[in-house]
Amino acid sequence: MLRIAIVGCGKIADQHVQAIGRIADCRIVSLCDREILMARQLGERFNVQECFSDLAELLTKTSPDVVHITTPPQSHFSLAKQSLDSGSHVYLEKPFTVTADEAQSLIRLAEGHNLKITAGHNYQFTLEMIEMRQLVAKGFLGGNPVHMESYWSYNLQDPVYAKPVLGDRKHWVRQLPGQLLHNIVSHGIAKLVEFLDDELIEIVAKAHQSPELLRLGEEEVFDELRVLIRDARGTTAFFCFSSQIKPGLNQLRLFGLDGSVLVDHTTGSLIPYVNRSYKSYLTYFIPPINSARIHFRNARRNFFAFLGRRLYQDYGMKELIERFYNSIRSNAQPAIPYREIILTARIMDEVFTQIGGNTR
Amino acid sequence: MNAVHIIGPNDLILITGSNGFIGVRVVQLLLEYGFTNLRCFVRPSSELERLRETLNRFPAAKNVQLMFGDLLSREDCVKAATGVSIIYHLAAGFDKSFAGAFMGSVLTTRNLMDAFLAHGQPKRFVNVSSFAVYSNLNMKRGSLLDESCPLEDAPQERFNAYGFGKLKQEELVKEYGTKFKLPFVILRPGVVFGPGSRGLNGRMGTDVFGFFINVGGSNVLPLTYVENCAEAIVLAGLRPGIDGEIFNVVDDELLTSNQFLRAYKKTVKSFHFIWLPYTVAYCFSLLWEYYSRKTKGQLPPAFNRRRCSAEWKGNRYSNVNLRQRLGWKPRVNMEKAMAMFLEQFERPAG
Repeated sequence: MLRIAIVGCGKIADQHVQAIGRIADCRIVSLCDREILMARQLGERFNVQECFSDLAELLTKTSPDVVHITTPPQSHFSLAKQSLDSGSHVYLEKPFTVTADEAQSLIRLAEGHNLKITAGHNYQFTLEMIEMRQLVAKGFLGGNPVHMESYWSYNLQDPVYAKPVLGDRKHWVRQLPGQLLHNIVSHGIAKLVEFLDDELIEIVAKAHQSPELLRLGEEEVFDELRVLIRDARGTTAFFCFSSQIKPGLNQLRLFGLDGSVLVDHTTGSLIPYVNRSYKSYLTYFIPPINSARIHFRNARRNFFAFLGRRLYQDYGMKELIERFYNSIRSNAQPAIPYREIILTARIMDEVFTQIGGNTR
Repeated sequence: MNAVHIIGPNDLILITGSNGFIGVRVVQLLLEYGFTNLRCFVRPSSELERLRETLNRFPAAKNVQLMFGDLLSREDCVKAATGVSIIYHLAAGFDKSFAGAFMGSVLTTRNLMDAFLAHGQPKRFVNVSSFAVYSNLNMKRGSLLDESCPLEDAPQERFNAYGFGKLKQEELVKEYGTKFKLPFVILRPGVVFGPGSRGLNGRMGTDVFGFFINVGGSNVLPLTYVENCAEAIVLAGLRPGIDGEIFNVVDDELLTSNQFLRAYKKTVKSFHFIWLPYTVAYCFSLLWEYYSRKTKGQLPPAFNRRRCSAEWKGNRYSNVNLRQRLGWKPRVNMEKAMAMFLEQFERPAG
């Protein structure tokens, strides 16, 4: 039985508690928040008795096997270090750390202590991403991707996350080097990084404000970002973050020599594109029918996954946490390779340097 | 000091949520009562047109202070509460998440009460709560729901973050009353309606499936017109001898859900809806709740017996306490209130 602690009892902590509740052979033993009332409210709702406002006390008194850190990123490094030093494995919410240097230090520290650490890149483990990975492993793309595209949309009217950030200049998100972007883009970049080489030749980042944000009176926050990346193998990648694109996009596209694939998180779909040509006018009839068949297959898969209780909100988080716990139990490599965590952090560092950090 | 008020006209009053739907009316009524030493606390992101419009109507309002800040900041709370005699605490956590609602309703209230005790001249802390704190799960249909009725004891199961925040907020206020002798009054308004509030309340039904389902059409709605509600709040701050008391706020001549919907459809827009008997809604909620629990939240428990009871079981309501203890009576009768509510739909939404 793995004994789990959660540090940071804000909005995202509920999702962690629910995801952990779906995993066998583990139990949440303690909660911590600088604001003890926050820890208690979570404890009361999910029947966790041990609540603390000081991590050192939690670590001493409850000795958890794993600590989930769901605090603002500015505190990730120190809290993770403290947890690792006391012998706990660490699950760090995204973004992993504020800088790539911090990310590297934590990973070195975890390896030095023979402990595991992972980043909360839960979108890597949705049903459609897992299926995509299986397809790619079978050689569907015909080798490394030639090009990749990752789209990530964000609704500025979202009352839970966006509005509090935009309404408060002192909000912790606004204090990050990349502000709003810093707190969100790691999901979309991490998906590209899985297929990128460690040696990056070029990163070009451009950011601007959308007219909607200007209308809302925001003068400091970027909400549109475009990034071009090229690695040493010649693979190129494009990342687009937008608050304006409608309908909202949350997609990964991989383009290969033999075939291409689209992963759509919004609809939970995987759409493979096979390299096949058709004679004459058949090209206007057969491929659309094939597309319809593929969409129907996605709907059918999702329907049966729902009936089989495998499809639910935050499936990716539960899957990532479960895989992380399994890697702890079997002393195997964590589900997200450390090189991917570091490379994601390096790209983010470079992007925020290029777009000018906190200044518009 | 006025014989019927616990403070004089020059004592400082703080109003949180002063730019809100009810808050603006509270400010307006305080000015009408002759209290001009007001401090209106608003969020930095607030659009203040409504509040400024109200203040502009009163020449005496030129001294009203507008204070921008965040009640989650203890520093801001100290600035807001310094020298204050009465706090009307209307700001609330409307966040959809439990943690967010808790932060918005409880941490803010704790910060404000601490600052009030340390830096204010506490005469009264008026906490504006909600009917959402009640649980009528074990009450009979049509029974009287008054201030003595049981409170929700399983807010997580009820899946109502706002109600959870309000419940915990009330607990904290009562704790401060006991531990630190904070003089407080709690008000629990029912369904507050009026110009500025355009939606149909969940007690009439739900449109979560894309069409309107009317449940419990013959239920009486615990309505309170916004000005009547604001007056109850204002009086709760001023009347002597009511510390520690709790008041439900509902108007007279309450309408049923059907009556409200008929008037709405006649004036605003005609739309089709499905009528669902309460028993069917309850059974549906029971099944949904069972499935949600069995699958560990594959479907969130949006429909559950507690919510179904609270919103659609149907109770009777009383404002006897409000009348007897506060000397309150509705400024606007129900007929006129409905007319003013419906009139706003003849103008474009603002």
